[in-house]
Amino acid sequence: MSPSRLSSSQLRSQSQTWRWRWIWIGFFLCAFAGIAWFFVPAFIIRPFRYQAPRALLVAMSLRQRAPIGTLIAALACFILAFALWKISSRWGKALLTFTLLVVTFSAVMARLNYFEWMFHPLPGPQFLAQSESKLGPREMIMSVRLGGDDRAYPISQMAYHHVLNDVVGGVPIAVTY
Amino acid sequence: MWTRTIRGRVLHFYLAGINNQNFLMRDKETGTWWQQITGKAIYGPLQGAALDLVLGDELTFGQWRTESPSGQVLAPVAKYSKEYDPNWEPEVAKLPVVISFPGTELKSRDVVIGLTINGAARAYPWETFAKQSPVLDRVNGTPLLLVLGSDGKSFRVFVARIDGHDAEFFLQADTPVWALLDTVTASQWNFQGCATSGSAQGKCLARIPALKDYWFDWRNYHSDTTIYKH
Repeated sequence: MSPSRLSSSQLRSQSQTWRWRWIWIGFFLCAFAGIAWFFVPAFIIRPFRYQAPRALLVAMSLRQRAPIGTLIAALACFILAFALWKISSRWGKALLTFTLLVVTFSAVMARLNYFEWMFHPLPGPQFLAQSESKLGPREMIMSVRLGGDDRAYPISQMAYHHVLNDVVGGVPIAVTY
Repeated sequence: MWTRTIRGRVLHFYLAGINNQNFLMRDKETGTWWQQITGKAIYGPLQGAALDLVLGDELTFGQWRTESPSGQVLAPVAKYSKEYDPNWEPEVAKLPVVISFPGTELKSRDVVIGLTINGAARAYPWETFAKQSPVLDRVNGTPLLLVLGSDGKSFRVFVARIDGHDAEFFLQADTPVWALLDTVTASQWNFQGCATSGSAQGKCLARIPALKDYWFDWRNYHSDTTIYKH
């Protein structure tokens, strides 16, 4: 049957089918963007894996924009899913729900620093007089002397926290290990 | 250790990721990404900026305590006490590496002391250094003195120059207190690089920042580094 023979109601239903298809495609594109925005950098920046310079650049640039990018993608997904919900079968609804869950997870994770779940930061560090410290004499420390202040950072502690923002002798410094 | 004031602005850093086993940090103020070992901004609004190195030491607590009677020590946080591993060094040494440099005589996890003099980098294999200390060397025209403390763990690097004259230093064998002797003034020097007796008494040698690091990490960020041989 050639298109010219289609009745107007048939034409309308065909164009509607295409409209839904486009909405589905749009939904999956949004979902892909939202999910990739968190998972691609997370995959590239994993411990004990090689980070190629270009891949690292991609990871940092995605992660930099991930909080806003994943949010926009998630909002778009929710709007399209709302439109698709009425016409979807039970399986379609299950697929929409699952995808929305992953997209939401991605948007939440893009706002959280999971590296600090593994290695907790140390805001407001406390200090002891050296005579009160229980460190053994052969334990290693990093030390700094600035403006009359003399501070030691045990490496066993720094190897866990990794970064410490401190002010020594009035100078703001970052202790890193 | 780095200063964290850039263009008049104080930054606060946090751990943000890992780049071939050297960690990445970001600052809360701009979100810029910084490489820990180089202190350079590698991505973000401050890209291209570099933090200034703060001269620090890696010492045993015992050595530091004798030098810093009024010093303060970072207090351990009770809830993380299980995470503080006093045996971190052999534990880390067992971890796999993701980059290697097969053309060199050192193994990835060999410990080196790395330093840079006006852009020229050199690595001193820890084993060689510990065996030979005090090590005298010259990098980019600067005479250097690398010294291992009496505890066999603390180390420092100095410019081996007294009042503009290049000097050699030797470990004094016949004293109860650890001391170096120099060949120019025959003065005694302590581990802080200051003369405690002799005509140089009261003078101190200039310090050179140096980093104790794994070879693979040092080599990765200093591709033109030379290796000390003797």
